[in-house]
Amino acid sequence: MAAVRTDSERTEKGWEPKLIAFVCNWCTYAGADAAGTRRMLYSPCVRIIRFPCTGRIDPHFIVRAFEQGADGVLVSGCHPGDCHYVSGNLLARRRFAIFKALMDFLGLEPERLSFSWVSATEAGKWVEVVNSRVEALRKLGPARVPWGTLSGPPPSLNGRSVAPMPQEPLSQVKPDDYQAVESQLRQLAEGLLATGQVKAVLGYGKGSLQQATPIVITNATEANQLIFNEHCVQNLTVYLTSPSFRSLRPLGVVVKACDSKSLVGLLQEDQVKREDFRAIAVSCPGVKVNGRWADKCLSCDQRIGPIADHIVGSSEPKSTAGADPRDWEIQTIEKWAPAERWNFWMNQFSRCIRCYACRAVCPLCYCQPCIADKNRPQWIPTSPHLKGNVSWNLFRALHLAGRCIGCDECTRVCPVGIRLDLINRRLSLEVAKRFGYEPGKDPSVPPPLATYRPNDPGEFIL
Amino acid sequence: MKIWTLQKKRVGDWMAALRAAGKEVLAPCEADGLLRFRPIDDPSAIAVRPGPCPFPFKEWLFPPHQVLFSYQFEGGKVNLREEEVLVNDQVGLFLRPCDAAAIKILDTVFLSDPPDGFYQLRRSHLTIVTLGCRQAVPSCFCPAVGLSPTSLEGSDLFLWEEDDRFLVYGVSEKGDRLVQVSPDLFEPGEGPEPDQLPSPLPFMERKEPLTNVGQKLQGLFESDLWQEVGRTCLGCGICAYLCPTCHCFDIVDESDAYSGIRCRNWDCCAFPLFTLHASGHNPRPDQPSRYRQRVLHKFAYFLQTFQQNMCVGCGRCSLFCPVGMDIYQIVLQLTGRCLV
Ligand code: SF4
Ligand code: SF4
Ligand code: SF4
Ligand code: SF4
Ligand code: SF4
Repeated sequence: MAAVRTDSERTEKGWEPKLIAFVCNWCTYAGADAAGTRRMLYSPCVRIIRFPCTGRIDPHFIVRAFEQGADGVLVSGCHPGDCHYVSGNLLARRRFAIFKALMDFLGLEPERLSFSWVSATEAGKWVEVVNSRVEALRKLGPARVPWGTLSGPPPSLNGRSVAPMPQEPLSQVKPDDYQAVESQLRQLAEGLLATGQVKAVLGYGKGSLQQATPIVITNATEANQLIFNEHCVQNLTVYLTSPSFRSLRPLGVVVKACDSKSLVGLLQEDQVKREDFRAIAVSCPGVKVNGRWADKCLSCDQRIGPIADHIVGSSEPKSTAGADPRDWEIQTIEKWAPAERWNFWMNQFSRCIRCYACRAVCPLCYCQPCIADKNRPQWIPTSPHLKGNVSWNLFRALHLAGRCIGCDECTRVCPVGIRLDLINRRLSLEVAKRFGYEPGKDPSVPPPLATYRPNDPGEFIL
Repeated sequence: MKIWTLQKKRVGDWMAALRAAGKEVLAPCEADGLLRFRPIDDPSAIAVRPGPCPFPFKEWLFPPHQVLFSYQFEGGKVNLREEEVLVNDQVGLFLRPCDAAAIKILDTVFLSDPPDGFYQLRRSHLTIVTLGCRQAVPSCFCPAVGLSPTSLEGSDLFLWEEDDRFLVYGVSEKGDRLVQVSPDLFEPGEGPEPDQLPSPLPFMERKEPLTNVGQKLQGLFESDLWQEVGRTCLGCGICAYLCPTCHCFDIVDESDAYSGIRCRNWDCCAFPLFTLHASGHNPRPDQPSRYRQRVLHKFAYFLQTFQQNMCVGCGRCSLFCPVGMDIYQIVLQLTGRCLV
């Protein structure tokens, strides 16, 4: 791994904290300049990098700084209302809140990542902020660079055995609940194809090895190949953005309640046109992964999702909804000290082999090309070493914050069992708490990180 | 072929002896719910299940990320360093026959003239101890590619479970040397020829031959069938990354102001970036054309160049594909044979 400077080298030279400050040109940079012209003394450990606006400061830059050996990062810009581009800092505030929540959850010490509003006249505040950050870093010592090596065995979620796993409510589910849906689904698909309302139906069929696998049927006579049962786990909406499905529009797509939420996301982000697909909503009692009810199903209270052109089966809300066991796991992790959390997640990420299956199955990971595939510059190291894996996993998580609808496909397919669902869910909870937003509800509102409210909470900003 | 017997309860002693002789033992074991070949000391940690270990042994010969060399700028000079890591001999324990055969295929790729030094180094330190399959799993199709639950291809020692002992077949000299490390644990024994062992072969369902389909598949290059079979492929890399014979890699330079590395990382033909030209043109523009490459490489191109298929029928790709693309069924479908 290409390390910038090893810790030992730094100790020999006498370690001094290295604080990278990303500042906006109009307020904080001018404030720092004012501190200089007034000959105010402050810590030389800060390295200032100037941007036009905090809105331009992508979390990538922050990640990059840590990767390259920063001990701490400070982001500073204009106070709300002062942005020279009207709302750059307000959009940034939302993004940083989520990024900070992510880094806290992963176990980066909170003092290493700070945000402040410093105006052009606040030379004194700038001095104060820099000095206090540098002092905090000095107490913490050098960052675990780059992104830390593994130290000792990670804490364990104990094979989840202690988690309250309320599988019972779903034990009322009977095969009949699916069979009725299946036969109605076949009739409906037959009709849709026969009358030419759709060119093809994308649904589930029996696989040769797996019990359910995506199939495409184009002929009404094939409708009896469609199945619906507890093995129908895949979220088929992922194919709506695939070039290989373009010629099949309008496409009838079979969706469970959760899958239907990703249709909302795709419409919201203008990735599909409403007339290109017909949502065939199947009334879903729940699905199983590896013989157990999927975690998401334990708390699912709907049978039919937000987008449904045709409803197959009952649309009564479910009485089986209980708690989501991931919430217990998230709480457990949050009780650990930052170093333990860090250890846990570094251990998880160290296993990543960069197959990008998590990206491939995600209906909302449609970017062409994905940031991970861009190589001028190479934002995310392609190597499956810890540094590259951390970058990849951070950005997958961030790009889905406020967009992930919780179908858990990424977690289902990850061949090395990384708990991506915990990260996704933690960020969803943060988005709900801060912005009162729940993804997959209303296609007409913008995604939470593409908008702002002037009074969004900014309690984490100095 | 020499045959010995080894008491199961003495496997731990044998492992200890191998370790004392400076060898590292790699066997399938479970950690964090993940079955993988790992260096182990304790025989009770070994987790052998029917069918192949989900993660193939490949990662020890051809790691997902391998540093080829590194450099550092110091005092106006560039210091180059070769990254050679392996000092120990390694013993791969309890590979399945398909996995051992897969290593032979990797050898064909990496050791053909001129050989790949990095692979060669690891390979020359490796001895392969295979465990014949008393049970197959539904995804297995080794018989379809000319192998079997008892084939010896690529093995140095071949083990067969019999009650509380193993029959140990010495397949190569390298294998015999492992026995010689602690000869008193091994008693001379007798047994049938491996292909006469009571293997699950007669009961396996997937054995329609896939060995001679190269020309037929290549004739289908322009066929619309690829759209049909490849449309639902998501282009995730799982099939290639879990395949014991897939061997594509990407060479990457990673550097900063002071130092850098050149490394090679696994790559996969299902990725759009795999064939993307600098101009922006992509000769394989969609998943069906990428899936076609996968199938043709395994069953046509490799056959043409090396007179063997590049698939050992382990079934991993089909079992772990998130959308159930089953390469065995798909090749049958393409070549106009029965379905399901
Ligand atoms: S989350 Fe709800 S709609 Fe989705 S599979 Fe589970 S029960 Fe069905
Ligand atoms: S699916 Fe898992 S192993 Fe593959 S890239 Fe995603 S996190 Fe890494
Ligand atoms: S494919 Fe054949 S050799 Fe491999 S695990 Fe299955 S039965 Fe054994
Ligand atoms: S065949 Fe399956 S495992 Fe392979 S890339 Fe396609 S979706 Fe992924
Ligand atoms: S192509 Fe599939 S079945 Fe064949 S060797 Fe690779 S993973 Fe095994």
